[in-house]
Amino acid sequence: MWKQSPTSRCRLLTSLFVLLSLGSVAQAETYTPGQPIDQDYSAMAETFLADYCIDCHGESDPEGDLSLENLGPVDDINASVWTSVWAQVSLQEMPPPDMSQPEVIERLKFSDWIVDELSRALKDKGGFHAHRDPNKGNFLNHDLLFGSLPDGIELQPTSSPARIWRVTPQEHITRLNELINTEPDYDPSKPGLRTHGDAVPTNHGGELKLYFGVDRIIKWQGGTVAYATSVKSVPAVLSTARDHGLENYPDFYTVNSAEATQIMGIASDIIRYMAEGPLSIAEPYQITDDPNSIADKMKGDLRGLPTSLVYSTEVMRPLTPVYDLFEAEEINEANEQAAVDFLFEALTFRPPSKAESDTYVEIVDQSIEKLGKKDGAVLGLSAIFLDRDALFRPELVESGEPDSHGRVMLQDWELGLAVNHALRYLQPDDALRRAIVDGRMRTRDDVKREVVRMLEDDSIRKPRILRFFREYFGYDLAGYICKDTRALGETGVNNKGVAHYNAMFDATASTDRLIEMILAEDTEVLKRLLTTDKVVAGKYDNTYFGKQRSREEMAASVAAEKAAAKKAAIELAAWKKANPEKEPPGKKNAPKKPKVNHAVTEAKLNGPDIYARVSRRSFGRGSMKPERVLATAPEGERLGILTHPSWLVSHSDAMDNHAIRRGRWIQERLIGGAIPDVPITVDAMLPDEPRTTLRERMRVTREEYCWTCHRKMDPLGLPFEMYNHAGLYRETEHRQPVDTTGEIIDSGDPTLDGKVANAIELIQRLAESERAEQVFVRHAFRFWMGRNETLNDAPVLQAAHQAYRDNNGSMKALLVSLLTSDAFLYRTRSETNANTVN
Amino acid sequence: MISRRNLLQGLAVGAGAALGAPILPQRLLASPTPNATPKRIIFFMQNQGFDPKTCIPAGMKHSGSLGKAKLPEPISALEPYKDRLHIINGLHGMHTSPSHSAFFGALGGYRGSDGVPPSASTIDYELSKALPQTLLPHLCIGMDSIENMKTKPTIATLSASGAGSPIFMHSNPNHLYQMLYGGISSGEIRRQHEARSSVLSQVELLAASKGQSLPPSDQQRYGQYVQGFQDVNGLRDRLDTVSDHLRKFAPKVDERYSNPEFETDWHDRLLDLGISALSSGITNTLTIGSGRGEIFGAWKGLGIEQQGHNLGHMDQPDNPIWIKIRQYNSRMLVRIMEKLDSVPEGSGTMMDNTLIVYTSNNADKQHTNGANWPVMLLGNLDGAFKSGCFTQVEGKRPINALYTSLLRAAGQNIDRFNMDDKMAKKYDDSNGPLKEVLA
Repeated sequence: MWKQSPTSRCRLLTSLFVLLSLGSVAQAETYTPGQPIDQDYSAMAETFLADYCIDCHGESDPEGDLSLENLGPVDDINASVWTSVWAQVSLQEMPPPDMSQPEVIERLKFSDWIVDELSRALKDKGGFHAHRDPNKGNFLNHDLLFGSLPDGIELQPTSSPARIWRVTPQEHITRLNELINTEPDYDPSKPGLRTHGDAVPTNHGGELKLYFGVDRIIKWQGGTVAYATSVKSVPAVLSTARDHGLENYPDFYTVNSAEATQIMGIASDIIRYMAEGPLSIAEPYQITDDPNSIADKMKGDLRGLPTSLVYSTEVMRPLTPVYDLFEAEEINEANEQAAVDFLFEALTFRPPSKAESDTYVEIVDQSIEKLGKKDGAVLGLSAIFLDRDALFRPELVESGEPDSHGRVMLQDWELGLAVNHALRYLQPDDALRRAIVDGRMRTRDDVKREVVRMLEDDSIRKPRILRFFREYFGYDLAGYICKDTRALGETGVNNKGVAHYNAMFDATASTDRLIEMILAEDTEVLKRLLTTDKVVAGKYDNTYFGKQRSREEMAASVAAEKAAAKKAAIELAAWKKANPEKEPPGKKNAPKKPKVNHAVTEAKLNGPDIYARVSRRSFGRGSMKPERVLATAPEGERLGILTHPSWLVSHSDAMDNHAIRRGRWIQERLIGGAIPDVPITVDAMLPDEPRTTLRERMRVTREEYCWTCHRKMDPLGLPFEMYNHAGLYRETEHRQPVDTTGEIIDSGDPTLDGKVANAIELIQRLAESERAEQVFVRHAFRFWMGRNETLNDAPVLQAAHQAYRDNNGSMKALLVSLLTSDAFLYRTRSETNANTVN
Repeated sequence: MISRRNLLQGLAVGAGAALGAPILPQRLLASPTPNATPKRIIFFMQNQGFDPKTCIPAGMKHSGSLGKAKLPEPISALEPYKDRLHIINGLHGMHTSPSHSAFFGALGGYRGSDGVPPSASTIDYELSKALPQTLLPHLCIGMDSIENMKTKPTIATLSASGAGSPIFMHSNPNHLYQMLYGGISSGEIRRQHEARSSVLSQVELLAASKGQSLPPSDQQRYGQYVQGFQDVNGLRDRLDTVSDHLRKFAPKVDERYSNPEFETDWHDRLLDLGISALSSGITNTLTIGSGRGEIFGAWKGLGIEQQGHNLGHMDQPDNPIWIKIRQYNSRMLVRIMEKLDSVPEGSGTMMDNTLIVYTSNNADKQHTNGANWPVMLLGNLDGAFKSGCFTQVEGKRPINALYTSLLRAAGQNIDRFNMDDKMAKKYDDSNGPLKEVLA
């Protein structure tokens, strides 16, 4: 659409003339990021378009068939064109390099103006949100954030907008899980095992579910599916768009009424379980430590029925004031209030105010009056699950005086919960709670004290940190990528049933653990993640970290097996001849020989035993298992988690690798570039040519129309062709040596640019790059602030990167810096400050 | 940002969901209006597979009229309705991984499995949006063993409103009755209904009061949360305003609601409630999960002592157990048709504007690769579908093609449902709807 113009020197001269004539005006400009641009179309846009755009995008024969001549002020009709203009100008794609360029401030102002105008024009049409999308965060030029700013730019002390965050599905399920299940304490000797404070993981099939009573099930009838059917579980109710990238800006989500009504239903199940335990879902006879004693009740085919389960008598769930309320002989104000206050704090993470407490006690009272003690208490207490603060975390700074910039610092419960939320899914621990209650959560030092304390204590689980790495790397989608059975079979892995998907969910848990181990050492974290030779390996990984054989190697393997079998048969015959009527030794009870996978040279991943965090038993004997080994990857074939199957498959599709998505990841998450949205006129399809390499089929993206964007992705993704789409290393493809070359083009750091032989060389180069580190810091900022960075955040980002560098690449130092920054601590109630792109 | 339409849809997907809107209730009941003929679709998903031999008349190998054919014993109850019946053989669902159930993939036309969240919306949900609007656009009911229905009265395995957004199905008829007819009920159901209504009203007030001090940008987002409660609560009032109408259709609550002898007692009552929701015009889409999308289920009330997984391990043709289950299904289909036949609509009856899609979430059998996925259609949705015939599908067409046809009939101009071109190249010999079924 926006083709570079190789033409027309006269256009260039005209533009230069215009620029020179305006030069004095441009130089005198000043710019304060975040301030509204108080200029109308003719004053701001008309001039800019005329100076920099109309030459090529005029009425006659416009470049890319796009004329901006009569574009006019922003309105809902031309909003999509203006959005493209905004993207191209912000990304400095336009004007093209061989044309005259606007001054930095001029560009920033024009970009801000478009955002303001689009926001205004689309206010009643669903709003304009593109600039708030984390995938557009890199639209803000990296060098402006980390380099020196041109004269005339005056930064404001930064802050984030006052807001409410809807809790994530993981946070929500973890809160609910706390009410009915007791998780084991942290065991320093087995640091990988799932313990209290870790997130509730997805189950064997990748679904996030809350399980009832599985910690007490000691026997069941039937196999995997029967178990999964007979246990009680409820899926996560809150929804998240599952896709690549950061998932949880406050802007993203609300709770719709369907979700709210489902939460109400689940609430009553939870309260009943809190009160009665398994008796709320089972018959009394099912609770025994001696399953044989109820053999008469368990006769016949009960598979898949709740009555096929046997629960131990040991009480596992937490016994809380809610339990006390149901156990009490009579209900009185004291036990009602205790139950209400307990549940309120368990769900909102703060104690209720007197008014809140009284209101819910009254609701419980009224319900009991209508329905009697048990049903009434269940219904009344359910209401607390729908309290605003049980589903949204407020950062509203309703008390506190604004400073001279209109910013108010979070304090007390809001600050304490913000700090808590930065790291944890559980309620504040005793120390943090005491600090909040005692008025010691009001200053930057208070925050630092608590953050450092929590970071230093491994027994305080911090699932939010791992969540960041999942969202940053995006290695956790592998099990959700639906594979074509035949195409999967051709990679060399088991394509039967759900074997591959199980392997991928296991691989996600393994990568989680590897990241945690690197975080535990806390030295050069990003570089080590990118270049580690360590692998946390499960039972399938010798195949997945193996090498896909060439056709010749496969043939040799088949021949070797046949020869071995033939030799064994000859030897056996000889033995039988020599020992007539005798049974050959070792034949009886000999284990069945495993089937040889001729398609793969398996890796030999050995090492000390470790553990990975997996879900509760969800699929009987087929449930996920925590056992792993810490091994070393085959030399020369792998380097860091971008070469692990979990990441590679997460960035693949049903039939093949996804070089574009992989390249985009490198471009956005390490180089700091950005890709504009695909124009709707583009039919983004690669040709379907069986037995042709992906690289060859991607020739269509090299057409000039596409290449402007694809040059930023394809040469970064194609080096990963050294792996097939199940993540196995390979040297050949369709009987030819696989082409793994690529290139970093116009990264912004000339030392990075240039050709690479394969993914390993690409990763090595990027891992040494300061720019990649800074881009990583930008993503950490986005995750923990819940918004895109603005130019006003430049000091925060620079300080965070400096802290990371000064402490040898310490994630902890980076976090302390970010969480004690103005962007984290201050909120602004006005909408205009702090939340525009530039 | 949120449209009225989306809001209504959002409400429809919740267990116990209800909705309301500043639209005249009568307008939202599926009574004839000048502009839109009310239409309705029912999906009946029997688990454990649907063997083609149990529905295709003996000797019928090629497409043709059912006029002179005799329906096999398992579906003989449909003999009087042969002119409305369309038996389709030869669709496939190989991409849905249907062995042991495709779960959400059966109605979604994508890969599904136990414990795997939905990867997109399902056809029933999409149709509920496309069909003329009703008060509660989509209702799902699930039939299972009595223990499972009591312990897990709502589960989600078949329908979804989007990726990662399952729709719960109702399995306890008492709860469902309370949701649909609490306002015109009496006794215990009435008390439960009133208590719940009171709590929800107070929750709405609390939610609203906590939204007043939010910054403007959050007010809209949080406003959707508050609006949800307003609509839930508003529905009761609107249902009250049509209570005389609803009374004509609400089933009579008998002792089997609270005291079922067999699970089939609840199955029958759930079906009654589903039919009443259609005939009263509360909903336009009903999904029935017999076996609730899984590979278990029980029908002891039919004299079948075996239950669950074993049922799927037996061949269905000539099997007395499966004949009983299929006959029970067929009688349920007849009950739906008889009831809808009895309600005048336009120049005919409700059944004239209805389509029933009967199939299995397991393709043709429990352990299957999905190479054949038999389907029966009943009714013609106001003349949109052919009937009275058997179709042997030519070439490779996925169940998605049938779903495309349904959406076409509902006015959606689409060529594919939940299948991109890349997948289609492998799994679909053609494009667009299944021409053999559209009139």
